[in-house]
Order: sequence, then structure tokens, then C-alpha cells
Amino acid sequence: MFTVTVHTTGAGELVVRLPQQRVTAEAGTEDKGPSPIAPELKELAWGAGSFIVLFVLMRVVLFPRVKNGMQARYGKIRDDHESADAMRAAARGEVAAYEQELAGVRAEAAQRIQAVRDIIEAERAIAIGVANERISASRADANAVNEAAKAAAAPHIKEAVADVSGRAAELATGRKPDAAMVNSVVTSLIGAGQ
Amino acid sequence: MLGLTFPPINELIRWRDIFTSFNKVGLIAVLAALIGIAIFLIAGRKDPLKAPTGVRNLAETGVEFIEDQIVMQTMGKDGLPWTPFLLSLFIFIYLCNLPGIIPIFQMPATARMAIPLFLALVVWVVYNAVGLKHNGFKYITAMAWPTSVPIGMRPLVGVIELLSNIVLRPFSLAVRLFANMLAGHMLLITFAFLSNAMFTAHTKQFFLRPMGVLPLFMLVFLTAFEVLVGFLQAYIFTILTAVFINSARHIEH
Repeated sequence: MFTVTVHTTGAGELVVRLPQQRVTAEAGTEDKGPSPIAPELKELAWGAGSFIVLFVLMRVVLFPRVKNGMQARYGKIRDDHESADAMRAAARGEVAAYEQELAGVRAEAAQRIQAVRDIIEAERAIAIGVANERISASRADANAVNEAAKAAAAPHIKEAVADVSGRAAELATGRKPDAAMVNSVVTSLIGAGQ
Repeated sequence: MLGLTFPPINELIRWRDIFTSFNKVGLIAVLAALIGIAIFLIAGRKDPLKAPTGVRNLAETGVEFIEDQIVMQTMGKDGLPWTPFLLSLFIFIYLCNLPGIIPIFQMPATARMAIPLFLALVVWVVYNAVGLKHNGFKYITAMAWPTSVPIGMRPLVGVIELLSNIVLRPFSLAVRLFANMLAGHMLLITFAFLSNAMFTAHTKQFFLRPMGVLPLFMLVFLTAFEVLVGFLQAYIFTILTAVFINSARHIEH
């Protein structure tokens, strides 16, 4: 047993006295306890036994069980990753195929629309041609009717104009003009106007 | 005046036998082994295909720590079969160190020489056996007559190598662990005693008693520090074991 003495001086300083072995009369017979350095056999035996049991169980049972479990999980995770990659690749392939198919359908649709447009355009041209021909024919017919009507109305118009002109000349001059001359003048004027 | 009675070291490490030839150090060693076994037994019973939690997570973290931070760093992939041995060493040492800061126990089993000495001897036997198995008698001759150094230096280096491998390595392994843990234990005791003595001092210096909080703070800090020291010493012992085994396998290095 030794004592560390701590006391304060008047100035308030803390003084520590180093331990000094206190030799007592009974020190020689006192149990000093185990050596702090020398190993004790009983501790060695318990420590050795405990470690050997731990190591043997760890080597034979405990570690393989945990490690196999870890490897199984890592394998499952790896497989899951691989299957996910495969699914992703397959999905990408399907999307690509779908897009390709879609592009094909769009191209075909465009072709069909173009073909229909061409057909419609051709039919429109034909219809316009037919309509133009019909219009031309109708116009020709109308012209002919018109000409015929004009030809039919011309003698009456000349006669009426000659009557009006002769009457007007008579009113203006007080004499009745020569009918043949009036007719001749009217005929020449109408002919000049046409 | 403040009298602090500090018991001798022999007194501090004397534990009465719980029963014949079984004291606290033996109890800690047994508990360390049992706790290690229990952790891995429970971990092994859980469904390994589910994400690890709790005890299984702890066990797997231990396995991965030994494999990634010790085996792969020192021995490479070839050293993976040594994982159970190194894992057992690490767990056993760490669980023997930890009771130094656990109330009631307050004593690391490795602060006694017996366990570090036994473990160092085991490591010594193992790495020399590995060296002899892998290299035959060349293991001894390569140590005694190292061809990788200039011929004039070989006798000197040979003696150093032989001494290092045969005597110094197990000695340093054992003493490093034992001395560090005993020193930590003594530090905790010292500050605990000092703090207690100052709190209970019969003195007229009124400021002395509250000043007992200073060694108490130091005690708390050192207790936290001992958690780190316990882990670090277990790690150092285990990684040195891996280094020794690997160097025994490849004597050309």
C-alpha cells in the first residue's frame, strides 16, 4: 500500500507528493496480489479455452453460415441486377421495334394519303375538263340561240327604227321622208354599229 | 491537507475467484467468447436473403470489416480463407477490451498478460507453421541468410530477422496489447481516485472540492477514449497477425 499526498500551500498552490512505499510491520505477511506482468495460469487457461471454442465454432459453423448467407444474398442481388438489365434491354428493344413499326405505318399512311391525293387530283382534273367542255358546249349553244334570236329580231328592229326615224324626220322637217332612203340609212347605220 | 491513498497496481488487478480458479478475467474471456458466438448464432438464423438488420447487420459488418480492411489490404484474395481466424481474434480481443469501460466489470481482460500472451503465441505458431508449410526449410534459411540484401549485410540482417520472427514479433504483439490496456485501466483508476479524493476531501480550502470536477471530466474523456483504444488495439493485433501470416507465405518479400 502506498499513499499519494496532495495538499495546498498558503499561496493556494496544489502540491502532490509522489507515492512512497509504506512498510508496515505486517507487510511481509500481506497478500500483495498477482504480479502486474506475470501471466496467471488460471487466466491463461480460461482465455485459451474461450478463444479456442470461439475459433473452432467460428471456423466450422458460425462463419460459414453467415458468409454463405451473404453470398446467397449477393448472388440474388447480382441475379436481380442482371435480370433487371435484361428486362431493360428487352424493353428498349421492344420500344425500338415499336418505333420502327410506327415509322413504317406512318410512311405507309403517307404513301396512301399521297396516292389518294393523286387520285383525287386526277379525278378533279377530269371533272374540271368535263365541266369546261360542258360549259363550252352550253356557251356555244347559247351563242347560237342568241345569234338566231338576233337574226330573227333584226328586221323588226330595222323596221321600228326606220319608222321612228322617218317620223322624227317628218316632225323635224315637216315632210315625210322617202321610206326607201330611210330604210337604206337605217340599214347602213345598224350595219356600221355591229 | 488532502490525503489520497492510492493502492498498488497488484491490488488493482487482484480479483477474488468467483469459484475455484475462475476470476473476473476468466469470466470476461468466457463472456467474450459467448457473446461472439451468440451474435453469429443469431445472425446465422435470420433469413440471409432479406436486407440485414440488427444482429445480422452487426455480424456482416464484422465479416466485411475483416475481409475488406484487413485481409484484402494485407494478404489479398488468397488470404480470404484466413477470415474466420482473424475474425475470431478481432472479436475476442475487442470483447475482452471493452469491459474496461463497462460498469461492474471495469477491467479489460487483456490488461492481464495471460490472454495477450496466449493469443500472441497462437499467432506465432500459426505464422511459423504457414511459413514452413509454404516454403519448407527454406523459410528458416531465407530468414537466416536473406539473399535480397548485400552479402556483407546478410549475417547481421539474418540475426535480426531470426530474432524478429522468433522472439520479437510475439513479444511485441503481446506487450503492445497488454501494456496499452493496462495503461488505460490505470489512467481511469487514477482519475477516478483523484476525483473521489477531491470531492470528499476534509479541507479548509473551499475551492478544492469543486475542483474535483476537473479529474472527473478527464475520467469521462478517457472513458470515451478507451472505447477507441480498445477497438484500435484489437484492429492492430489482427492486422499485424495478417501481415505476419502473409510475410511467412511470401518469404521472397
